[in-house]
Amino acid sequence: MTELEGCPGAKMVDLRNEGDQEETTGKVTSQLKQWPIQLHLISPTAPYYERADVLLTADCVAYAMGGFHPEQLKGKSIAIACPKLDEGQDVYSAKIKSWLEDARINTLTVLIMQVPCCMGLLNLAQEAVQSSAVKVPIKAIIVSLQGEILSEQWAM
Amino acid sequence: MEEYLNKSIKEIINQFPEIADSLNEYNIGCVPCGVGSCLLKDIVEIHNLLPEEEQELMARIAGVIYPDREVKIPEIKRKNEARPKEISYSPPMKKLVDEHTLIKRWVAMIPEVIKNLDVESEEGRQLVIDGIEFIRSYADKYHHAKEEEVLFKCFDEGLDIIKTMCEDHETGRAHVRAMLVALDKRDKKAVSEHLQAYQELLSEHIKKEDEILYPWMDRSFTITRVGELFAKFNEKDEEFGDVPKRCEGFINKLEGKIKLTEVVK
Repeated sequence: MTELEGCPGAKMVDLRNEGDQEETTGKVTSQLKQWPIQLHLISPTAPYYERADVLLTADCVAYAMGGFHPEQLKGKSIAIACPKLDEGQDVYSAKIKSWLEDARINTLTVLIMQVPCCMGLLNLAQEAVQSSAVKVPIKAIIVSLQGEILSEQWAM
Repeated sequence: MEEYLNKSIKEIINQFPEIADSLNEYNIGCVPCGVGSCLLKDIVEIHNLLPEEEQELMARIAGVIYPDREVKIPEIKRKNEARPKEISYSPPMKKLVDEHTLIKRWVAMIPEVIKNLDVESEEGRQLVIDGIEFIRSYADKYHHAKEEEVLFKCFDEGLDIIKTMCEDHETGRAHVRAMLVALDKRDKKAVSEHLQAYQELLSEHIKKEDEILYPWMDRSFTITRVGELFAKFNEKDEEFGDVPKRCEGFINKLEGKIKLTEVVK
């Protein structure tokens, strides 16, 4: 048994025969309006975060969701992170807190995969908001391995 | 059938009283509504009926209006898709629902206040004045201000459902003014009548908002709107300082006093 075999986040799943193989025709326009996007690299006070609706998404989500750009990213500023593999997550907490207190963001949407380890990103965001004097609504969206939204609810 | 979709629900109930039973069965509380100016076509969307429920209800209504012939039921266009009935409020709407909880605690004590009403003594009158102060500071200025100055401004204020809610607010204010006049005249009967009318009005009003109006509004909000409302409500909270805390203190104290009276009895 390898190190990750018992972990649902790393368990092998073959989705080749899942669902229809419908192909999207036409070019899907990117809704990304900023760079960088990785949470370690972004500055929380960059102008595109000021008063923005911010999307904090787990790395894998954009690969799982076919409609990620038009359905989730459109109109939002983004940061991506992996709660399982990324190091230095205390920096993440500080940056989320700075979004609230310095950039005065409007809302925070946390978009994660259904695997249990992804919940760490939501917990991190909730703890950061709890410890901040400024509060904003947090929405939690959980996505299945097939890219479907399993749940969408207000988390704070 | 199209002409009835554009008629007010009160007009339809007056013309076909049997329709009231069908509306009640679908938990559509328009029958006791004092205004009743919402159009039949709007009621389906506002009450978030599922498409199959909408078809059943409309078929029953059509059966009452046209008992001798079969009528084609028109599909009512909706701005938002019907969603599951379990109510989940966005954070700003949850805040308003939580504020209702304190108002409901006061409303629940009104029968006991009426039972022990004493307009002759200073202490007895003060209790009513404190209750009125709670209504004015908390229910009206603090809570209704959020609705009238912020929330309702997000919608067309000419909408019947918004007009109905504002009329309820005005009726509540009129009862409060009448309570003060009656108290000044030591008119126990009038004080108790207006207290009771206020209790009935607010109980129904809060139920309509919690179960119908707020979920309907929530369904139409974008995430940006939710964040903006949340921030504006927080600004209002800052503006009112310790008013909510003082009002909660009054309710806690009054509940303690009423409990004590019950124990002594």
